[in-house]
Amino acid sequence: MIERAKQGNAEAFEALYNLHKRRVYSLCLRMTANTAAAEDLTQEAFLQLFRKIGTFRGESAFSTWLHRMAVNVVLMQLRKKGLPVVPLEENIETEEESPRKELGGDDPRLAGSIDRMQLQRSIESLPPGYRMIFLLHDVEGYEHNEIAEMVGCSIGNSKSQLHKARMKLREILKTSRAEKATKP
Amino acid sequence: MTCEEFERVLPELGSNHSIEQEEHLKSCSACSDLVSDLNAISKQGRLLRASEEPSPWVWNSIEVALRQEGLIREQPGILRVHPARLSWKLRWLVPAAAAGLIFFGVLLHERGGIPAHEAKQESPVGVVTADLQAEGMPREDMQLLNSVAARTPSMRDAYEQNLRAVNAYIHDAEQSAHNDPNDEVAQQYLRNAYEQKAMVYEMALDRSLQ
Repeated sequence: MIERAKQGNAEAFEALYNLHKRRVYSLCLRMTANTAAAEDLTQEAFLQLFRKIGTFRGESAFSTWLHRMAVNVVLMQLRKKGLPVVPLEENIETEEESPRKELGGDDPRLAGSIDRMQLQRSIESLPPGYRMIFLLHDVEGYEHNEIAEMVGCSIGNSKSQLHKARMKLREILKTSRAEKATKP
Repeated sequence: MTCEEFERVLPELGSNHSIEQEEHLKSCSACSDLVSDLNAISKQGRLLRASEEPSPWVWNSIEVALRQEGLIREQPGILRVHPARLSWKLRWLVPAAAAGLIFFGVLLHERGGIPAHEAKQESPVGVVTADLQAEGMPREDMQLLNSVAARTPSMRDAYEQNLRAVNAYIHDAEQSAHNDPNDEVAQQYLRNAYEQKAMVYEMALDRSLQ
């Protein structure tokens, strides 16, 4: 299919698009929380891919190559807006972004009480850098070495950012649950 | 192992824990709850994977761009037809092709490339034809044609044909969009139609500034 697309076959392009559109769109949508922006970014990611398809040599999986483009497109968009992307240094984060340490806390477990809509809303409120890593690893299923290559960070940084993202989500979910519990 | 030490290695922990880490988890409910929560969040995240789809117009826009850039090259002898979209594609191509012909014609005229014996009859300047009025051509279109006729009479008929084609395209696209306001494809084709008309005006007005 890729070879046919390289030769300019329209059906091959469309088949590749249909095969991968959901994952790319899903990533863009969760990063932007805006359907129009997500569709624009999806279009841009696929256009960049198809323009460069002649250079694909099969060094990595095609889907990884595509998602790297999608990630780049999203990151460029974030940079244009002046939003922070994945920090290359682990310690560069604001007080507000950094999840609180909750050692010895007395809260009941979240397990079994997280619903999908709640988690989606919580992901939207994550800082963009954490959000990207969480989406790529826990939602899309990429390994840390692939993520590191996509976003241009070290494997250790990817693991650290993922942990912080999950900790932050835990904090958001618990706060949200506590607020609901106090409402009449 | 203390809780601080355990949380320090937590980012690196996979599914296999060391004996020391296992012992700590058994004895510390806080860290055990923490691990359980983080695993639940991760597991729930998987369920969010790729559940939405972009609208159909995304692919349409990509395809248009790929064709314009020459990245889609139809194989000889193969006619690729989407029956549901055939009439749309033909209609879209008509004003685009006509606009291209106008542009080419303008270039030729500019360079004096049109032989005198092939020059078209000049249309009367400032005359709004009864035919065009009867067909319901918008007044601004007729004014544009008069303007073109005043400057480059030989191009007037070509612009008139192109305006007729693009107006018909807009009419069809508006009807479809009106029949189903949620039809994204119809909305995109309506946008395309307006863009085509804008292109015709732009070419005509560009000429007037020269």
